[in-house]
Amino acid sequence: MTSGIQVSMECNDIFEQIHKFKQHRYVILAIKEESEISIEIVGRRDAGYDDFLVDLRKGGPEQCRYAVYDYAYHHQCQGTSSTSLKERIFMMLWCPMQAKIKDKMLYSTSFAALKQQLIGVHKYIQATELDEASRECVEKQLRVLDRN
Amino acid sequence: MSGGTMLYGGDEIGALVFDPGHHSLRVGYAQEDSPKAEIPSVVGIGSSSGSNNSNNAPDTNLDPETKTDNNVTSNNADARKYYVDTNYVNVPRAQMEVQTYMKDGMIDNWELFEKVIDYAYANVIQSESEYHPVLFSEASWNVRNNREKLTELMFEKYNVPAFFLVKNAVLAAFSSGRATALVVDSGATHTSAVPVHEGYVLSQAVVKSPLGGDFLSRQCRQHLEKHNIDLSPVYKIASKDVVKERDNARFTLRKLPENLTSSWQNYMVQLMMQDFQMNVLQVLENPFDERVASQIPMVHYEFPNGYHQDFGSERFKIAESLFDNAMLGAGQLASTSVGMCDADVRLSLFGSVVVTGGNTLLQGFPERLNRDLQLRAPSNTRLKMISANGSVERRFGAWIGGSILASIGTFQQMWISSQEYEEAGKSQVERKCP
Repeated sequence: MTSGIQVSMECNDIFEQIHKFKQHRYVILAIKEESEISIEIVGRRDAGYDDFLVDLRKGGPEQCRYAVYDYAYHHQCQGTSSTSLKERIFMMLWCPMQAKIKDKMLYSTSFAALKQQLIGVHKYIQATELDEASRECVEKQLRVLDRN
Repeated sequence: MSGGTMLYGGDEIGALVFDPGHHSLRVGYAQEDSPKAEIPSVVGIGSSSGSNNSNNAPDTNLDPETKTDNNVTSNNADARKYYVDTNYVNVPRAQMEVQTYMKDGMIDNWELFEKVIDYAYANVIQSESEYHPVLFSEASWNVRNNREKLTELMFEKYNVPAFFLVKNAVLAAFSSGRATALVVDSGATHTSAVPVHEGYVLSQAVVKSPLGGDFLSRQCRQHLEKHNIDLSPVYKIASKDVVKERDNARFTLRKLPENLTSSWQNYMVQLMMQDFQMNVLQVLENPFDERVASQIPMVHYEFPNGYHQDFGSERFKIAESLFDNAMLGAGQLASTSVGMCDADVRLSLFGSVVVTGGNTLLQGFPERLNRDLQLRAPSNTRLKMISANGSVERRFGAWIGGSILASIGTFQQMWISSQEYEEAGKSQVERKCP
């Protein structure tokens, strides 16, 4: 079930720029005027995870957001001595505990529409508290996808 | 957005939200924070022979104590009298039977249900049904037959302009900001674990057990009767004296009509037990242990007849039955449900367990569920419990979710409109409301 909220075309474009051309590290998306998902902040390619967490909450501690992040980490396959760089894209639904129920509802019901539009995401992450959005927690979920 | 999708333009005419449960039916306008009314899911049915003033003169008597009937649909063929809502049901009346219209989380007795909806429109909403789109919540295991029947009822009898039906577990998950979650709902008649994945219920993995608030009420009653504590509900008592703790109560009985039915008397005792269990019972964080339980300060409770005493370890022992694994306790229920889902969603379900339902307000319920589930989840699984803090949010979680959903502007295009209903009939509900 979805809320009927639309995803603006600029979201597709920016996603392509991240997914294909690796031009940005992340993008923060927000629902504008209860009708459309659009871009709020674009993170530079050299931005770090901490910058991301700051930008995610820039709207205020009680604001919900979506985020797409191109996450890079090193992975060592079992039986090999070298590590390989992995780049995985995750999409986050950020609904802090303090958010108004109206916003939580709006963002969680529209998450499906966003998933449908942006193809190529490896992992979907839901977070209501900062520890769920933390680097450790996110990386752990991404590593589940790798074989040991 | 194309024209015509905003036909029901949310702002001028409010949509209505109905959330039927075993304890009560929640009714109100969309966009509000809490329901306008909570109508008990029972209806009092009086026999026609009991009254002799059954002429059809307009009834101006508004006092619920003496008013003969509040059946708003006057139907001459049906001579029985119906009493809806607390003020009418809770009055002692000769030969009034009490009956619920719910069964197993679904609407079962449609005749009674319609009486309650009629009452809601006339006394709570106080407006004509054809002006308001209606959103209903339903149990996750509702059957097609029932869903179509409700759709038919709303369009044919109440002429609603638009209708929508959502699973209450989905509403609870969304209103906690989750599209994927395991919803553990403990209500009056049962406790259920419903996995919701990206806004859809995984219906093959729904698990439920009959251990709910009413079960606890029966346990409390049994326990108290075994200890010879007199359970006279408020309606029996005219006056009472202050007595010392554990002294016999001194009270005088009220003069009551004869022939009170046992179904009504049981209902009144049940209401009293609900108050008792909410004030006295508590769940221990670990399985029941007499030594631990007896260390915890006692809780004082005064019964309506003036008798009062402290309750110690028994208040944990009774509540323990909700987590009894021999009877599919809440922790086992939740882990069984997750185990029936695909392996790749299990982690995300454990990662967001939404706790809702009035019975979870029992002190210590979420903490104990957390502990039981942690033991059953695979090691190094991240377990995350989400439970609203306020009692209103917990009791009316699904209603509040529906209230917001119905008020989202873009959601209007999702409703089944009366036009669509006329074109394609009641089967629309299966197509439009997953």
